[in-house]
Amino acid sequence: MLKRLILIRGIEVLMVLLLASIPLVVNNSFVLGLLTLLAIYGILLIGLDITVGYLGLVNLAQAAFLGLGAYAGALTVTQLGFDMLSALLVSTVIGLVMGGLLAFPSLRLEGPQFALATLSFSALSATVLNEWESLTLGAQGLQLHRPPLFGFVLDSKGFYWLCLCFLGLVWMAMRNLLSSQWGRAFEALRDSPIATDAMGIGTYRHKVTAFALGSGLGGLAGGLYAFNFEYLQPHVFVYELMVILLLGVVLGGRKSLWGAFVGAVLIVLLPNLLSNRLLFQIFSATGFLLALGAGGMALYQKRTKLFQAAAPIIAMGLLVTGSFTVQNTEDWRKAIFALMLFSVVVGLPEGLMGFASRFLSRIFSIDPESFAPPSLLEEVLVRKDVDGAPLLQIQDLKCYFGGIKAVDGVSLTVAAGTIHGLIGPNGSGKSTLVNLVSGLYVPTGGTIQFQGRPLVQGSLFAVAQQGISRTFQNLQLFSELTALDNVMVSMKGYYRSPLPLVLLGLAKRSEKRAEADSLALLEMVGLSDQVRVPAKDLPYGAQRFLEIARAVARRPTLIILDEPAAGLAHPDVITLLGIIRRIHQQGITVILIEHHMDVVSELCDTVTVLDGGRIIAEGIPDDIRRNPLVIEAYLGKGSEPAAPAAERPGTLEPVPA
Amino acid sequence: MDHAVIQLIVSGALMGLVYALVAYGFQLTYATSKSINFGQGELVMLSAFVSLTLTNTGLPYYLMIPGGLLFGVIAGLFVERAGVRLALEQKSEGWILMTIILGLFGISAAENIWGRDDRPFPTPIPTEPIQFFGVSITPLEISVAVGVVLIMVVIELFKRKTLLGKAFEAVSADRDAAELMGISATRTIMLSYGLSGLVAALAGILVSPITTVGPTMASALVLKAFSVAVVAGLESGFGVVIVGLFLGSLESLTSFYVGSGWREAPGLVLLILALAIRPTGIFGKAVIRKV
Repeated sequence: MLKRLILIRGIEVLMVLLLASIPLVVNNSFVLGLLTLLAIYGILLIGLDITVGYLGLVNLAQAAFLGLGAYAGALTVTQLGFDMLSALLVSTVIGLVMGGLLAFPSLRLEGPQFALATLSFSALSATVLNEWESLTLGAQGLQLHRPPLFGFVLDSKGFYWLCLCFLGLVWMAMRNLLSSQWGRAFEALRDSPIATDAMGIGTYRHKVTAFALGSGLGGLAGGLYAFNFEYLQPHVFVYELMVILLLGVVLGGRKSLWGAFVGAVLIVLLPNLLSNRLLFQIFSATGFLLALGAGGMALYQKRTKLFQAAAPIIAMGLLVTGSFTVQNTEDWRKAIFALMLFSVVVGLPEGLMGFASRFLSRIFSIDPESFAPPSLLEEVLVRKDVDGAPLLQIQDLKCYFGGIKAVDGVSLTVAAGTIHGLIGPNGSGKSTLVNLVSGLYVPTGGTIQFQGRPLVQGSLFAVAQQGISRTFQNLQLFSELTALDNVMVSMKGYYRSPLPLVLLGLAKRSEKRAEADSLALLEMVGLSDQVRVPAKDLPYGAQRFLEIARAVARRPTLIILDEPAAGLAHPDVITLLGIIRRIHQQGITVILIEHHMDVVSELCDTVTVLDGGRIIAEGIPDDIRRNPLVIEAYLGKGSEPAAPAAERPGTLEPVPA
Repeated sequence: MDHAVIQLIVSGALMGLVYALVAYGFQLTYATSKSINFGQGELVMLSAFVSLTLTNTGLPYYLMIPGGLLFGVIAGLFVERAGVRLALEQKSEGWILMTIILGLFGISAAENIWGRDDRPFPTPIPTEPIQFFGVSITPLEISVAVGVVLIMVVIELFKRKTLLGKAFEAVSADRDAAELMGISATRTIMLSYGLSGLVAALAGILVSPITTVGPTMASALVLKAFSVAVVAGLESGFGVVIVGLFLGSLESLTSFYVGSGWREAPGLVLLILALAIRPTGIFGKAVIRKV
């Protein structure tokens, strides 16, 4: 624990002290300029990494936010006479607000629309900065003087230290954020936006928040940029800068503060690298040898495909050839950036820091942080008294897809405190019914009432917030997150921690409680010894159980289990029975969709049978098993109503619908 | 409405057809692979330069066209191989960044090979305006309109009437099912990128005599094509033509009444508005999410 603290925090403190002391030793305005730019780009790239790294979206607007922030800061100083801090505040707020405004429309869809919208936004802001000449003076450029800070006008040394302070503050705030429930949610929604909504976390609002925050940092960096150069021109904040910023984030390493810092160092040094021929030749030759070595090694060990190994070698080879033959490297700068970025994206997708951290973690083995002791399960899932009153009432529910009537007039009542089975052959409408209740689909007609009130329709998020939780037939785990994190994500709606507190690092207590509670739930489903394993590496049965633990973590009133036994081996089915009973004991109502008739008979109080989108039977499991209509639906007409055959329809349909 | 306004609308709309053509190129690849080439504008530009070079070697105009188109197809295939396939295999959105990178390389190459200046593009089609009810249109502009509509009709017929085209439609409708029927999705995606490159090359050849040829000739063009594609919907066939015509005339009016610096603005605003109001596009269909 102590070792961890010393190593990780120690290096950070050391780096800050080192950076801060350079101007005291080296009295060189060129170096000072580079350092100041490094701090500014550091902030900018940390902001960009939120969308590019954590959300996994290609964001082409960060250069525009830098520009908008710069002009906002400059104009408040020249036109309104603001001092340094209030001008920087305006820059940040402009970034936040514009980022939010852009995010609202552009994050509604998954796909290239987001990248296109950010591209359009950049072009639009460039147009505005250029054409609104009465305010920005257009291409002529805007001159300003560095405003005072608390009455003092900073010299370039003082201003550098101020930038470094801001970088430190941003660094700490982002570390707090990304290691909190918020950061976990950002990562979760990239793996499965549907599950994030179904856990009541709100995919869309988290994406918008993340993007707005990143843009706010862009604005802040812009303000500092303006007060550093004291002269602004619109053409600086264009496409080429954007590509350089992306190069910084990707080459430095995504999803990493250090990665953003390394990226910033690189961008700052890049122009100098290009202007010195020998340096450039050495640099490109090193890159070529690295690509050759890494690619050759990976090919030899058969870890990669030919393309992934060969493409960076070819690209770096071109770069080396260019470094010796081209007359003026400055003319080819775009191609040089393109070749470098191409090689990194293909050959080193985890970036320099990702690459380095693999080695570092081998040299310095740091014990992972120890956990708090698990909470008592009885305290996590407080036993609810249930009275058997109607909890969920479905009236004449319909869902048509074009001409297909997937659910066609289903009426159903689930009593509180029961385990209600839902069975039916493949294509009978079970999953559609569940998707209607949980808000994934909007019904064509009919009503759903939950706890006596109409249930919000067509929103996974809103339904989850009302106390309905679900699992998925085709697993929707947050595959990159550990088992513990999967459950903890789901507690975000329960232990609410406001964003400002999180940024200041004041939400650690609710964080610890969420962790303890999650450990208790993992213990309940028998995963105590696999809490640190990424969900994608868990065995199949464990993944199913993890989904249940995650759904229970919401403390739902009603939990919908969509074929939890599908594909499970027999011993796992026994475990599953135990888990469902345990949940039920605590007063949580369960809707169980299942093919395994023995599971249904064992657990359910009531069973509803669907066929062709309609209810064909309802009753206690024993009656259902003998119901001729049910037998016919499963086995077809003319079958003998032989009990053994009907007893296990699951064995007839091993493939889930 | 007086003649000046009609004139503005007509010449804007003709330019809009070119946006529609480039946007149509996005649709072709989006249909098969849910990916688009962010460097499509550079493909337009490079094809134009190659065609210009072919013309300068003394090749007659009508023999130069197939050469330019062939270059477009090859370039499209290269983009698929170098920039898209790996990302699609990894089921990531890495193709966005990759195609941007390839486009950037293309611009830089063009700047250094052909220079940064804009050059005229010779054409045998006359440029003296003809009067239609007081509106003047040049035969050159008419040739652009005819070329755009012709190529779209030919490709749509190819998709509907030929076996290869049906494979294209099958992969667009359901990639996994098509693969189970023995259709190679990878090859179909290659086909779509080839066709998309062809369309881009044609756009370059058609528009160059009007706009001149230069490394940045298509950077504004492609932004407007993006707008057209998003506003019409990435999945809709001929919707791009309608939106293209509309955007073209809107921007020609804007540039006249507000100022030529603002001529890019309507397209950009429309794109963001469309995402806010109807994210799947005017002619697009909502997709059903499956779990």
